[in-house]
Amino acid sequence: MKLGRREFINLSATATAVTAFTGLGINLQPSTVKAQLLKIHWAKETTSICCYCSVGCGVLVHTDESGTGRCINIEGDPDHPINEGSLCAKGAALYQVVENENRLTKVMYRAPYTDKWVEAPWSWALSQIAKKVKEARDATFVEKNDQGQVVNRTDGIAHVGSAEIENEDNWFLQAMQRSMGLVYIEHQARI
Amino acid sequence: MGKGFFIDLTKCTACRGCQVACKQWHKLPAEDTYNWGSYQNPADLSFITYKLVRMEEYVENGKVTDWLFFPDQCRHCIEPPCKMVGDMDDEQAILQDFDTGTVMFTGRTRNLFPDEIKGSCPYDIPRACEDTGVISKCDMCFDRVINGMLPACVLSCPTGAMHFGDLGDMKAMAEERLAEVKKIYPNAVLGDPRAVRVIYLFQTSPHRYHGAAVASLHGPKRFTRKEAFAKLFKTRRPLA
Repeated sequence: MKLGRREFINLSATATAVTAFTGLGINLQPSTVKAQLLKIHWAKETTSICCYCSVGCGVLVHTDESGTGRCINIEGDPDHPINEGSLCAKGAALYQVVENENRLTKVMYRAPYTDKWVEAPWSWALSQIAKKVKEARDATFVEKNDQGQVVNRTDGIAHVGSAEIENEDNWFLQAMQRSMGLVYIEHQARI
Repeated sequence: MGKGFFIDLTKCTACRGCQVACKQWHKLPAEDTYNWGSYQNPADLSFITYKLVRMEEYVENGKVTDWLFFPDQCRHCIEPPCKMVGDMDDEQAILQDFDTGTVMFTGRTRNLFPDEIKGSCPYDIPRACEDTGVISKCDMCFDRVINGMLPACVLSCPTGAMHFGDLGDMKAMAEERLAEVKKIYPNAVLGDPRAVRVIYLFQTSPHRYHGAAVASLHGPKRFTRKEAFAKLFKTRRPLA
């Protein structure tokens, strides 16, 4: 919603109408509460879907465009047909998925036999993971089982999926794991 | 007449969506919590927790026969005793908005005596900050309400237990729902519907929920001298 000069004056008038009557008779001195422009008033509003369970509640994400450019509020989308504005405790806390000092924003690596975490670059981490996957797969690959049947599987790697992965990403994951011969493919919701 | 809530406790599942939505909107910090033997978490309201879903197990003959959920918050009394007492020290500390009926604690509550304000509340709601002495509680999401939005807690309620609107409409809705609920829960009652703006529908006797669920549970109220004076000098506020 855009706020013109006229609307702003209207709004200020509403705010100053906040009056307390105290003492004997009516106290005409207005005790104003601070001009109450919504903190999300100048924010950009984006629709999104809650990342948690499969209900798929709609949310409104308010982003502060002028200042930090960060998310300032996430609440239920009243126009969404699934939840009509409501959210459970997890959904109501969505704001913290974005804005939380405990979030990991860099790759952290703990080498074997140490208790120290060190920062590592993405390129190194990705190639290291690929290297380990290849190693484990080559070491545990089974071409034929005891009965001599062709199985082409690897028992050394398991995969745990997540409810927060989208359909298309899941397809890629599934295709990659099957092509490597994984059979232990699980989902977090069943554990 | 102002605004009001109707909270239908028969529909509350204690998901705590309201509790978190309140924290999220007000950007209040997290509590340091621990397992104290109940799912009710944190254990009590505080300076940084305005809304709390209280959970009470009702025990009968050594058996838990009921698990009662009670989303506790400021009732925004039509004639708020906290304001009557607060006005004796600072008339700007606790304000009541004329249009909505919101009872609002400002930063000037640091000029008041926290124990007096807490003691004056029949529902045991206000909490003071230990460092600054400022007292806080639910503000009915006043900024949202005057901009035509629902309070954060009401918007987030997934079961339809919480409603917000004109007080008259809420009272009518409460009465209608009470008649419906009475067929299943014969002891169902509304909590102080004439005195407050947050009307709860209790499915069973309110004393099973929480000590200060309704005002009358305190028994005959003993006024402190200040409260008695406050009552004597209070103005009849014209109600729209």
